[in-house]
Amino acid sequence: MKSPNLLSILSWIILLSTTLASCTSAPTTPIQLASFTENDVSVSIALEHPSAENYLLSATFTPPDGYHLYSKNIPVHGIDGIGRPTLLELTSESQMKALGNLAENVPAERFYFEHNEFQVYPLGAVTLSLPVDLPPGHRWVNDELKITFMACSSNLCKAPVEGKIVSIRVPGAEMVDNR
Amino acid sequence: MNKKILLMLITTVLLACNFLFPQSRKSAPTESTAQSSDSESLVSAGFTIVRLHPKDGDLETMLAEEAQKAAALGQLPVVEFDATWCPPCQAIDAAIKSENELMLHAYKGTYVIKLDVDEWGWKNSKIHDFHFDAIPVYFKLDSEGHQTGDVIDGGAWGEDIPENIAPVMDKFFHGV
Repeated sequence: MKSPNLLSILSWIILLSTTLASCTSAPTTPIQLASFTENDVSVSIALEHPSAENYLLSATFTPPDGYHLYSKNIPVHGIDGIGRPTLLELTSESQMKALGNLAENVPAERFYFEHNEFQVYPLGAVTLSLPVDLPPGHRWVNDELKITFMACSSNLCKAPVEGKIVSIRVPGAEMVDNR
Repeated sequence: MNKKILLMLITTVLLACNFLFPQSRKSAPTESTAQSSDSESLVSAGFTIVRLHPKDGDLETMLAEEAQKAAALGQLPVVEFDATWCPPCQAIDAAIKSENELMLHAYKGTYVIKLDVDEWGWKNSKIHDFHFDAIPVYFKLDSEGHQTGDVIDGGAWGEDIPENIAPVMDKFFHGV
């Protein structure tokens, strides 16, 4: 007599949990927008929707083993011409709008070279994120963004990639909201 | 009156001498323009550094000319690819310019032909069969300006300090 009741209660709990979970606006999985490898650095660009009304354009830069990338905060043409920043930028033609500043997932470390202070990320991958507003609508939209990076080890450098325009297709805001 | 004339005469002669026979000056390496290249020579250190530019002609021809100059000086011709944005390349230049003894010793007897990758590119016809994917990189040349097949890059040493670079470069240049 007890067993059927317990089973029934358990079933109701599972049913309710499933229903509640499906109603909650849980974070969606990132939408992969583009990926490429240039000068041995792999770049993966995605759109994240961590919470309602919040979109993050992100780029993960993965340099080869033993190589590092430079901080997003060093000047575009380096410090006294040395180094290049890691950047994820919207272009003037972009349909998306930046809503904040570029953020990094790992803090840059400082080092000194030729009396100048440089900031580089630790060896390995770094992800930059930019909060954005998506273009309105229910359709996919052609868009573009700009990527800059340069990878060096302690004794070698790969060629920098500066302001590379990457074509992407982004979903309209309503399209993502209804997912 | 005679003293004044004598003084003026001596001054004039001294100025004329200085003008006619300028004193050679020893200084840290500086870029100066040669006929087809910018030259930075450390004559006292016994090696030569020149920089070639694409506007001055075909690389193959220029390398043959530079190899001949190197041979005339009894120096080993070596091509180095570098760039202004490359910290390891700049570290090497800085060590040489500051006349670091280890680096001067390692470079002795060499004729370094610098090529800036921003001018020459990485993978194109301008640099013929020089193949590399990171800088700094060095290619030994023969007396005709052709690659000997001996190549070394920054990966051959650890951190970019003369204590690490010099012994490796010395061995590469002189086989010691």
